[in-house]
Order: sequence, then C-alpha cells, then structure tokens
Amino acid sequence: MSKRSKLLFTVLMAFTLVMLAACGNSSTDDTESADSDDVVKAKVGVISYLTGSGASYGEAITNGINLAHKEITELGEVDIELKIEDSAGKQEEALSVAQKLMNSENVDAIIGPTLSTEMQIVGPEADLNGVPILGTSNTAEGIPQLGEYVFRNSIPETLAIPASVQKAIDKYGAKKVAILYGNDDVFTKAGYDTMKQVAEDLDLEVLTTETFQLGQSDYKAQLTKIKSLNPDLVLASALYNEGAVILDQARKMGIDVPFVGGNGFNSPEVIKIAGDAANGLIVATPWFAKKDDEKVKKFVEDYEAAYGMEPDQFAAQAYDGFYVMAEAIKNAGEADRDAIRDALAEIKDFEGVLGNMSFDEEGDIIMEPTVLIIEDDEYVVFE
Amino acid sequence: MLGELINPYYLQVSSFILINIILAVSIYITLGTGQLSLGHAGFMSIGAYTTAILTLNYNMPLVLGVIIAAIVTGIVGTLIGIPALRLQGVYLAIATLGFGEVVRVLFINWDGLTNGAIGLSGIPHLGREIFNLSKSMGIEPDMFGLKNNQFISLAVFFVLLIITISVIWFFVRQNNSRIGRAFSAIKMDEEASEAMGINITYYKVLAFGQGAMLAGFAGALYAHLMAYISPSDFDYHRAVEILIFSIFGGSEVIWGSIFGAVFLSAMPEFLRFINEYRFMIYGALLVLMMAFRPQGIIDVNMMNRFKRLMPKKRGEKKHGTGNKEDQ
Repeated sequence: MSKRSKLLFTVLMAFTLVMLAACGNSSTDDTESADSDDVVKAKVGVISYLTGSGASYGEAITNGINLAHKEITELGEVDIELKIEDSAGKQEEALSVAQKLMNSENVDAIIGPTLSTEMQIVGPEADLNGVPILGTSNTAEGIPQLGEYVFRNSIPETLAIPASVQKAIDKYGAKKVAILYGNDDVFTKAGYDTMKQVAEDLDLEVLTTETFQLGQSDYKAQLTKIKSLNPDLVLASALYNEGAVILDQARKMGIDVPFVGGNGFNSPEVIKIAGDAANGLIVATPWFAKKDDEKVKKFVEDYEAAYGMEPDQFAAQAYDGFYVMAEAIKNAGEADRDAIRDALAEIKDFEGVLGNMSFDEEGDIIMEPTVLIIEDDEYVVFE
Repeated sequence: MLGELINPYYLQVSSFILINIILAVSIYITLGTGQLSLGHAGFMSIGAYTTAILTLNYNMPLVLGVIIAAIVTGIVGTLIGIPALRLQGVYLAIATLGFGEVVRVLFINWDGLTNGAIGLSGIPHLGREIFNLSKSMGIEPDMFGLKNNQFISLAVFFVLLIITISVIWFFVRQNNSRIGRAFSAIKMDEEASEAMGINITYYKVLAFGQGAMLAGFAGALYAHLMAYISPSDFDYHRAVEILIFSIFGGSEVIWGSIFGAVFLSAMPEFLRFINEYRFMIYGALLVLMMAFRPQGIIDVNMMNRFKRLMPKKRGEKKHGTGNKEDQ
C-alpha cells in the first residue's frame, strides 16, 4: 500500500467512525425507576425488522412500542425496561438475537419478530426456553400453534379475508370471481390459500386463478384474461406495492369490478400510488385510523406529534401489543416468565386502539376486523 | 459452574458460523479451479429440501436424510458441471445464477411437495433430536449441571464443530494431493495444464461436483438447525453472500475462505450495539477490501509469511507448486 492510499484509508475509517458516533442514538431504553416499591419491574425484548427492504414495517412497529412504553412509564403502574434488537428480516439473525435476549439479557418476555417466517424459527425456541412471546405482525396460519408460550395480537388472514369477501358478496351479490395472487411470497401465498378456501366455502365460481411474482411491473397478460371472463369480483392477494400497480392497470383496461384484498393490500400507500384507480378496493383490517373513538383519536394525535406521520396498521398493532404485555405483567405481579405467560393467556376483553381483544386457548387473537373500502381516495367503513 | 458459562446465544451464533464455513469451503473448491459459480444457494436449497422432505414425509432418520441430501446434490452438481465446462468466467457465473433461480422457482411452484412459498415447517431439529436420543439413553442435562436449552445448543455446536473440522481437514489434505495440485494448475492456466497431461474435464467436473455436494450438505444441516425452510432463504442474496465469504477472506487459500466466513458472520453480531447502522459498516468494509486488497484478506504471500514465523515442523517439505497451505 502506498503512503497516499494509506492516508486515504485512514481518513475513510475516521469518517465512518464519526458518522457512526453521530448516528448511534436510536436506543431509547430509559430506565427510570418508579418511586413506589410495589411496581413490577420487568424487562421486555423486542425483535424488529429494522434494516433491509422491510425496514418500514420495523420502524412503524418500534415507533408504536416506544410510544406505548413512554405512556406506560408515565402511568407508573409497571416499570418496563425495553431492549430493541434488529433481525434484518433474516431467520438466522432473528434466532441469534432471540437467543441473545433470552439468555444474555434475560428478558421476561419478547415482542416480535416482524415476519411470520422469522416467528416460525423463533417461536419454538422461545417456547422451549419458557419465554412468553407475542407477535404483533404475524398473519400466517399456525403461528400461535407453535407452542404454549407463543401469542399474537395480529389478526390472521384466515379471519380477515372471509370477513371482507362475505361483505362484498352481500353487497354486490357476486357469484363469479377471479383470483390473482403473488406466488413467491409467504404472505401473499397464505392469503391465496385462504381465498381459495373461502371461495369454496361460499360456493363461488372461480373463473381463473392467475399468478404474478414479487416486483413484477406488467400485469396486462393476467388482467386481459380476467377481463375476458367478466368476473363479478376480483380477489387479489398482493402486497401494496404490487397491488396498487395492478389496480391502476386493471382500471385502465376497463375492469371496473370491486377488488378484495388481503391484509398486505391495506395501506394508505395504495391511494398514493394508484390514485383514483384505487377506488373500489375492499380490505378487512384490524386497524381503522378514522374510527370515532377517544382512544384511537388520542393515539393518532400522539403518534403524529411524535413521529410526524399517520400510524399504520403495524404501529397500531405494536402499540396495543405492548399495552397487552404491560397489562399481563401487571396482572402477573412479578417478573416471572411463567406467571406472565399465564397472565397473557387470561387477557380478556382488553380495550385497545384496535378494538376489543381476547386470546383463545391457543394464544391466537379473538377480534372483529373492520371491513373498509376505498371511496373518493379515502378509506371508509364498508357497509 | 459449567451451567453459567454456557450461553446458548454464543453457541447459536457459532453454529451459524460453522455452517457458513462449510459453505465458504464449498465455493472455495469451485473457485479453486477457476470456475465462478453463483449457483451455490441453489445447491444449498436442493440439499435442504431433500432432507426436509425425506425426514418429514418418509420418516427417515435425520443422519440418513443429510447423507442422501449431500449425495443427491452432488449428482445434480455433476450434471450441471458437465455442460458448464463450456462456459468460462462471467458466462459461467450467469449460467449458474440462472440455475439457482430455476431451482428456487421450481420449489415455489412444486406446491404439493414443497408447500410453495410458505415453506416447510416442523423439520426435525438437530438439537432436539439429540436431546430426545440422549434422554432415551438415560442421559439427562441435569447430570452435567445444564439446562435443557444449554444442552441442546451445546450438542448442536459440538456436532457441527466436528463436522466442520472433518470437512476442513479433508480438503486441506486433498489440496496437498495429486487432485489439489491438478486443481491449482487448472486455475493458473488451463491450456498449460492440459499440455502437461492433466485431464481438465475430469478435474473441473470433480471440483464443481464437490462444491455442489458440500453446499447441499451445508443446506441439509441448515434445514435441521432452523427446523423451517422456505424458498426465499435460498435466493440470489444467499448466493452472493456465500461468494463474498470466499472473496473477502481470500479465495487463494482455504484459510482465507474460512476466515471470511467467520469474520463476516460474526461481525454483524459484534456490531449489534449500533443497531441500524451495522450493515453500513459491512458494505464499507467490502468496498475498502475491493479497493485495497482485491485478492482477499488472506492470500498466499500472507500464508507464507505466517508460516515463516511458525517453528518448522518435521521433515520440512519443500514445495515448488502453488500449494502452500499445508501444515
């Protein structure tokens, strides 16, 4: 290495260090001890998708949790120490960090991880270690069944899709449907499996089943076929980035029947991307930001004040998830993993921003989803 | 005592490092004959799916599943290796990249067998199988003062450690054999080595098949370590990651690839305290490495210098060929 390149190297490294020092402020685990002695002190670990392509989910989730944490600390009923870790959306990372939280940090409970695929790996391990784990964004089938210590407060696709399809049929009297789904993604594939089941249960005639891949930009081939078959309804299991483009192209081709989407299709981004073409999209969601409810209004206000954006479904679910966890810790009365697990299982009729929540005996959420439709570039309740 | 010292977190990270070492060695062998492959994620997935399907659907014992997976992947690798002979450099890289994608799409669409994009869950877990086995033999973790999860992590770690050491030992030995010298000769200059009477076809296909087999083996172990696999685990990013292990650490000597796997798998864990920014360092390191040390961190010269520092051992072999990493 010549002298000059050595110098360059040093400067570069110094620059990197300075930048890191400037950036490393994100951990907000303030552990103010409460005044009275009878408050339960507990440590909760959070596994979140903070770096990589899905970082926006992780950000919303940690924002929701941090907000809830701040409010609960102010209330002073329980004293919870937060430990937020990144999983980068990878199973190995999620498992390593779960081991770290359970064994090095000795947390009493875990919230997360973000993706269902990560939960598939982390869930059994947490169950083996006897650490209660609460998923706030896992919608795939079979998550709470992973173990006695595994819970979730996000509604699965098997609950959301039947609700929206049923309502759409009631309203439009649909008989013939076309299904369109992304076949290379766990999320959209799981949504499709539910749609297929629902169509069978409701005696709908499935005219065609078309597939697409993540990141595809041209859906004309599939849409042309769908158009020629003249369905009453299109069931589309897509994430919002692909979904919005599908809607846009479908409307331009003259397909003006309503679309029913899954959980991943539910995002304000759809309206931003597709504009007027988004009208007529029906989704079932646990979260409706414009609900006429004190709690919801306060949450939306506080969240916007703190982070400068409207809370989405993931933020709301995480916010409620943390409240549920705090409630369970309070009820358990001590920072004991088994006691917290039992208290979680006993949570009933908890009123959160999502609505009324209870856990069934497997640890899955019991909740009524709200069915929404986009009308005039806005989500409104679908009646 | 012992119970407090053993932290499953460190053992977990170490287990992933060991699997990554096997993957790095697998690409090192292929690179060792000058063949650049981006299909190792594909081979890995074939191994993982083979053992997962065999153990799940046909109740095959775990050990047998892993062995069959390695053999199947070896056969597939050899079949791919033969037509791949006609391609060189970037063209081979693109062809193998295509192969990896074909395998991934196949697993996505073969719904009945692979459960599509949702993936296979409930695969027998290596640690839990050992745990149950030792329990049935009357060995309880309490006897060593361990908790169940500590025992499981420790058992997995030792099994993988033994496997990885055997793999490294085997390929270090092979490098110093007739086969290894033939590989090096082909990497240096194909025409010249052909003129020297080396059967290029045979050795290149052998290297490709060996690399594939080892990647499939690592994939099978991965499946039993995670107990859940889906096609998205084995996408293009994985192929590049495997390649980077070897390129970063140095693809000239086996120790370089091993170092790359250890360093690059451990680093994100050590950098956890800066959370969101750790992968920036990862990227910065790769750029710096490419700018200042394109041959990788550990190269032949460094190994030689290192060896000169070490006390000379029995016999003092004199070597004139390209293989300098014998112990």
